[in-house]
Amino acid sequence: MFSTLIDQFWSLTLSGIALGFIYVLISLGYTMVYGVLRMINFANSEIFMFGTFATIVISRDFLGNVDGTKSLPLPKLILTITLCLLGSMLVSGLVAVFVELVAYRRLRARGTNKLATLISAIGISIVLSEFMRIITNSRPTLNPRVLEKKSLFEIAGASFRMDTVLTIIFAAVLFVVLDRFVKFSRLGRAIRAVSMNEDASKLMGVDLNKVISATFLIGGLMSGAAAFFYTLTYENTKFNVGFTLGLAAFTAAVIGGIGNIRGAFFGGLSLGLVEVYASSILGTEWKSVTVFIILVLVLVLKPNGIFGEAVQQTRA
Amino acid sequence: MKKIQAGVIAALALVLSFTLSACGGGSDTIKIAYQGPLSGGEAQTGIDEQNAVKFAIELYNATNPEKKIELVSADDQGDGTVAAGVAPGIANDESIVAVVGPAYSGATIASLPYYKEAGMPMISPSATKVSLTDPAVAGEFGGPVFHRIPATDKIQGPALGKLAVSGVAAPKVFVVDDQTAYSVGLVEYLLPSLPKASLVGTDSTKNDTADFAPTVAKIKAKGANVVIYTGYYSQAAVLVKQLRDAGYKGIFAGGDGVLNSEFAVLAGAAAEGARLTGATVPLGELSPELAAKFKESQGVEPGVYAAESFDAANIIIEAIKAGNTTRATILAYIKTVAYVGVGGQTISFDANGDSTLGFINGFLVKDGKVVSTGAVK
Repeated sequence: MFSTLIDQFWSLTLSGIALGFIYVLISLGYTMVYGVLRMINFANSEIFMFGTFATIVISRDFLGNVDGTKSLPLPKLILTITLCLLGSMLVSGLVAVFVELVAYRRLRARGTNKLATLISAIGISIVLSEFMRIITNSRPTLNPRVLEKKSLFEIAGASFRMDTVLTIIFAAVLFVVLDRFVKFSRLGRAIRAVSMNEDASKLMGVDLNKVISATFLIGGLMSGAAAFFYTLTYENTKFNVGFTLGLAAFTAAVIGGIGNIRGAFFGGLSLGLVEVYASSILGTEWKSVTVFIILVLVLVLKPNGIFGEAVQQTRA
Repeated sequence: MKKIQAGVIAALALVLSFTLSACGGGSDTIKIAYQGPLSGGEAQTGIDEQNAVKFAIELYNATNPEKKIELVSADDQGDGTVAAGVAPGIANDESIVAVVGPAYSGATIASLPYYKEAGMPMISPSATKVSLTDPAVAGEFGGPVFHRIPATDKIQGPALGKLAVSGVAAPKVFVVDDQTAYSVGLVEYLLPSLPKASLVGTDSTKNDTADFAPTVAKIKAKGANVVIYTGYYSQAAVLVKQLRDAGYKGIFAGGDGVLNSEFAVLAGAAAEGARLTGATVPLGELSPELAAKFKESQGVEPGVYAAESFDAANIIIEAIKAGNTTRATILAYIKTVAYVGVGGQTISFDANGDSTLGFINGFLVKDGKVVSTGAVK
């Protein structure tokens, strides 16, 4: 039962961490919005999905990387990675801002209850995913290989591949940048102020709509980065790719304490690891069961997630 | 409130106009449906099959018969849940007299209740799950309306096992299923056929898995040199890529769910050398002239299951030619048919709906193409 885990421990751990970092970035999308609006942005999974398609379109159609049999020459590879990462972040960020404008702003302006926003979130999520389903005829879209998946070096049987290393480094950097940004920048302070007390911050001269748009944009940028790393690693996408990953990332956010940025980090990484460990010990068919049992346990013992809702504490 | 009323009236008008136009067909045409995945991850299978059905109908209509045949497409995405939403519409449409399909076993099981109740004759070119023609399995048995051209997984399972390990001196087999009805069923018949003590492990992954890392780790930990995947091609492509990227050098094999030209496209170089099975023979191999004609009229090469879909459609066309225009009479015709298929063999059906063809063919992915390697014996 444990033989695979023991034999492949470091290799599993590495892939769990790489997957975990993708979860971290997507769950930041959920957590940022929740922190400010106390609302779950169900369309975040579709914001992610648009990023995966943006990556493919940029790499395959704009840059003409269609061969897919060998690694690109270094200059072109760097160009591809930079453009795809930025493009994917930008597209996802814009979709997030669009979602906020179309699905939430009017409802908020009219002071409707939370339930209406929730339905509107689910609605826009379905619209976006069906839109992509129709365009792609529901078929999986392939991203021709840009990066050979050779092992760079090996530590204790875990082979560090280029895509894994890139994902871990870039995602960690993005996380730290976001964490610092929210803590120290002017806009970050405004976001935290709105999250603590909407009315008071309005009275202090914070432009609420601007802050909320910025929050969606930042959440979208993070999901877009996740989309790029996902496409780089798994090399294909589909209109419903966001569903499974979005659900996992949402779970990660809740485990860590939704609304809490560091909670998303912890939740994402632990979810990635739990998934691979559970799959190897119990069998892949038990993966989701294990994850959700852990979620229920966390919620029973600590209803606000492991790190708690940072904002609620300040509120009380 | 006014706005809502107006909306309701507009919607009603729209529905009414659709109904009217649907009734507009004259009595000199007769409809048969094709059901299979026409969109979704498995769409290529359905498109390939439907092209062959279309081809058969076009050949028939070109003879200027008294009753022309019209094809109705029913897209079930190869998925039971979707099929349960599509099948009632086909079953309730009185003008449809027979169904070619469904392509997939899971979708067939979900559709059967509606077709059985409507007495709809069905001939599937590719659903291979054993229980569909086994009266002992009450919820999945398709009689008396269900028939199929291909051999079942009872024959495919052992053939797949045999093909996967052939030429391997000390096979260590790892079997992965995708938790669908077809996949789990195929494993059931595959496992007993493997050489003694060669099975080193199994895993069961959901059919929308993106990350196969735990499965790959298991395969490596067990030192397997033969991996058999019993799911469908779009997932098989993801799995085989991740396996090869992780340095797996052994054999990758799959059943008829993986057997598709798209598998080689999606998996690229990782698919090279993959061994596949299927109860189908490429149309081009059976009749090069027919395949050329197919390409001319459909604009594409005949795909997997083209020959079987062509035969299935032609059996129904034969029934119509013989003057049968209702579901009941077509069903009765199929029960006693002895049709000479494109392969030259006579196809008829036993009491449970299984055809007399009982072969499984082997295939190999070579230079990005799926090529036939002849019957697995």
